[in-house]
Amino acid sequence: MLRRLPATLVNQIAAGEVVERPASALKELVENALDAGATRIDATLAEAGRSLIAVLDDGRGMTPEEMELAVERHATSKLPDDDLLDIAFLGFRGEALPSIASVARLSLTSRPRDQAADSAWRLTVEGGEKRDLVPAAHPPGTRVEVRDLFFATPARLKFLKSNRAEQAAAIDALQRLGMAHPEVAFTLSDGQRRMVDLPALPPDLLADPASARLSRLTRVLGRDFADNALAVDAEREGVRLVGHIGLPTFTRSTAQAQYLFVNGRPVRDRLLTGAVRGAYQDVLAGHRHPVLALYVEIDPREVDVNVHPAKAEVRFRDPALVRGLIVGALRHTLAQAGVRTATTVSQQALGAVRPEGSAPLARAGQGGRQGWHGGWGTWSPAPPSAEAIAAGMASQAPAANGLADQGRLAGWELPPQGRDPANQSDPAPPPEPPGADHPLGVARGQVHDTYIVAETPDGLVIVDQHAAHERLVLERMSAALAESGVPRQALLIPEVVELDPAAAERLAARAEELADLGLVLEAFGPGTLIVRETPALLGETDVQGLIRDLADELAETDHTTALKQRLGDVCATLACHGSVRAGRRLSLTEMNALLRQMEATPRSGQCNHGRPTWVRLDKTDIERLFGRR
Amino acid sequence: MKLTIERTALLKSLGHVQSVVERRNTLAILSNVLLTAGPEGLSLNATDMDLEIVETAPAEVVGEGATTAPAHTLYDIVRKLPDGAQVELSFEPEDGQLTLRSGRSRFALAALPAGEFPAMSSGAYGHTFSLAAGELRSLIDRTRFAISTEETRYYLNGIFLHAADNGGVAVLRAVATDGHRLARVEMPLPEGAAGMPSVIVPRKAVAELRKLIDEADDDITVSLSESRIRFAFGSATLTSKLIDGTFPDYERVIPTDNDKLLEADCKLLHQAVDRVSAISSEKSRAIKVSLEKGSLTLSASSPEAGSAVEEIEAGYEGPPLEIGFNSRYLLDILQQVDGDAARFAIADNASPTVVQDVADQTAVYVLMPMRV
Ligand SMILES: Nc1ncnc2c1ncn2[C@@H]1O[C@H](COP(=O)(O)OP(=O)(O)OP(=O)(O)O)[C@@H](O)[C@H]1O
Ligand SMILES: [Mg+2]
Repeated sequence: MLRRLPATLVNQIAAGEVVERPASALKELVENALDAGATRIDATLAEAGRSLIAVLDDGRGMTPEEMELAVERHATSKLPDDDLLDIAFLGFRGEALPSIASVARLSLTSRPRDQAADSAWRLTVEGGEKRDLVPAAHPPGTRVEVRDLFFATPARLKFLKSNRAEQAAAIDALQRLGMAHPEVAFTLSDGQRRMVDLPALPPDLLADPASARLSRLTRVLGRDFADNALAVDAEREGVRLVGHIGLPTFTRSTAQAQYLFVNGRPVRDRLLTGAVRGAYQDVLAGHRHPVLALYVEIDPREVDVNVHPAKAEVRFRDPALVRGLIVGALRHTLAQAGVRTATTVSQQALGAVRPEGSAPLARAGQGGRQGWHGGWGTWSPAPPSAEAIAAGMASQAPAANGLADQGRLAGWELPPQGRDPANQSDPAPPPEPPGADHPLGVARGQVHDTYIVAETPDGLVIVDQHAAHERLVLERMSAALAESGVPRQALLIPEVVELDPAAAERLAARAEELADLGLVLEAFGPGTLIVRETPALLGETDVQGLIRDLADELAETDHTTALKQRLGDVCATLACHGSVRAGRRLSLTEMNALLRQMEATPRSGQCNHGRPTWVRLDKTDIERLFGRR
Repeated sequence: MKLTIERTALLKSLGHVQSVVERRNTLAILSNVLLTAGPEGLSLNATDMDLEIVETAPAEVVGEGATTAPAHTLYDIVRKLPDGAQVELSFEPEDGQLTLRSGRSRFALAALPAGEFPAMSSGAYGHTFSLAAGELRSLIDRTRFAISTEETRYYLNGIFLHAADNGGVAVLRAVATDGHRLARVEMPLPEGAAGMPSVIVPRKAVAELRKLIDEADDDITVSLSESRIRFAFGSATLTSKLIDGTFPDYERVIPTDNDKLLEADCKLLHQAVDRVSAISSEKSRAIKVSLEKGSLTLSASSPEAGSAVEEIEAGYEGPPLEIGFNSRYLLDILQQVDGDAARFAIADNASPTVVQDVADQTAVYVLMPMRV
């Protein structure tokens, strides 16, 4: 029997797409509150949102008539010009409230912002049926309560995960909105405990959007993020990209902590995540993921947000532009940050040098010599060198204030037993005072023929000489390749590769870009490619395999990093062979030269495998180690 | 089984067979060499299932019999015995051990039963011909450098051996290519080889064969079936499976009408390329050849190391031309040319270049340029 479905059923079907779990209902309600111009939003969950989701806002509010309309399907106040191309609000479909109402017990309590106390009303809807509209007591703003979610569609209930997982998803949804809107205060509680608390920011902080954002991000992602993040601000053809990105040494094992926003809307988008991967590719070990929050601000007409029921994905009119902007901006920011490395790594090192069994820093000084050896052992096993460093550090402490005290620094020496015999004969240049223009400081010696210890105005830096030099060599080779082009070996017997036609077409469309990387191919009938030249650097290579990898990658991410990756791997291997090994003695002159090169080389803070090339111990940390603080 | 053998004879034969044995084996028996004492002396047999070498060494056999023992260990022991020593090998099935005695040394090695040793089925060889050791050596030496090592193109991982017709003359041809360069060497077709199947001899067999040839001075008998090739020397036999694949139609990539001809002194050119390539970057090894009337200029540059230029006299009458090559490939080919002068036939800087010894037309080398 062909028939029109009853409204409730239509709404339940829509609900299946819009609200799949408590977190999505919460997201819709909070977005409505944001659309209503709220400055503070308080959400409550009971049983991870199964029995109650309540959202209270101090926004515009609704009149009783508006409330009645709001729960009707396709009723919205957010498309004033009937123009789907120009969407200025988070919502626009007029679908969320009726969908939720069809699968739960919904109540709206609202008082329009500038109306008297007696203009507050409550509307209840149950399983899609409007119940009663009664006068209520309520401050300006709206409170929406969703009880017994999915009671009307028990099948849905079965698909929910554990309370813990549902709650985590809800927290994540709220935090994402919180990161997108630092000007609004958010809380989320379960009735007893505040699970999210993002307070309002003071007006002076709000005046500077970048600081406001960072402050909010820090609140969500933790202090570590702020210490390890770089600000991004770039614009191209009217598209703006701002945000904060983590240093390549501050990573996670999943891409979970990558927050992306388009016009204030949290999104998960392959284009964006792909661009992030491309940007970090050179500086990150393959299985690590950076932590970052990126905000794309773009003319609403240039982006279609109406492609996903939960509005979690978007489609850009010019994806290449957005991608190029992100990759370019991130690379630039990372390159500029060149020599910075994650402070957290230093923190870990500091943790390692702490005397065993004395967790609080304040007790470090009481560890005694015995404890020290145990502690140092994990970091720098040979006692003489350790003592040398310890002595060095101790004698540095008094220089805290007058850091440019030439006399004292010149007189500073490692005790004889710690001295590197190779360096003794070296006519050491007069040690210059470490200056601000040399962030990696002045080399003071080498330990284990592997690590360079350098002194900076406010601490000391330890450099892994092999990792650092390897990175320098790789950067030089990459620069050379970029400058002179990738030499190509023509093939005597061209390689014919069969692929599925779409994949072959995708590759053929990128022929020019691939040729720049040394791979010359052309289409030869549907699904067939002929490879005529390959990058000489790869030697005799598995062309079929390379092409297939590239095809897979293009299908998945729109990138051709597989080829760059292989070229990079060859360069990295060469770099590894061509660089100073651990165990090689260096003179002070050589050490200083290496430090200066590192400062001058972008991305020298990580080795080719994504590990740090140097760590810093702040003087305050050293002082703490000795119980001076 | 019991026998006495001179250390030198044992070492030589063991040396030949043990290199077939892979260092790591999942099948223990494949790490062993099969020792058989018979009327002709001691026969040693080693295999990796694709390749088998059997060699007979003179020995004084007291009791006939057979067993197997770890090849590398045995070789190592014999190698360390003093020159001129006599070695006694004995095996009693009930002990399960091979005993080796020499002077005051005595070794007992874990033996595995001879019955477990995988014998290569002898099968029928439809074609047999013989050729001089020197001829076979020359076929191998001038082609093996071009064998591909890329395993995905397994059909290029060997030397393509077949009968062909070159301007009415029947020849035996060896061809190898890695897709970047190609070597084609031929000799008059030996008697009995007409109608032989075209086969691809795997790289490992080529390497082992080459070692055996060095010590052979007699003719070598080659027997062929569809799936096997066998080389019989005086006292040794090498049998190898063939690569089951189709060698590409190489004739099509050897240009015949390249019109820009260059003649250069082979030694001078080799030395110059060698010197100039010291500059070219480690992996790509690009070198540029610039031709002008009467001269050839080699140059290389790398942003790291700097640049190098060297000019040498050469016979060249064509228009000025610049062409890039992988210097290592160029050196490989020049190394094969025995005569004084090499002739290059070039079309342009994107098409294959043909190189030949001016004094010897039996070998043709084809080199694909590099685009720099
Ligand atoms: N917290 C609120 N404060 C004020 N008005 C609200 C609030 N929540 C909902 N509304 C009103 O109710 C209407 C319907 O909301 P609903 O979420 O169903 O649709 P929408 O937000 O317009 O679009 P979408 O379905 O895309 O979310 C809104 O357009 C808005 O006018
Ligand atoms: Mg909405």
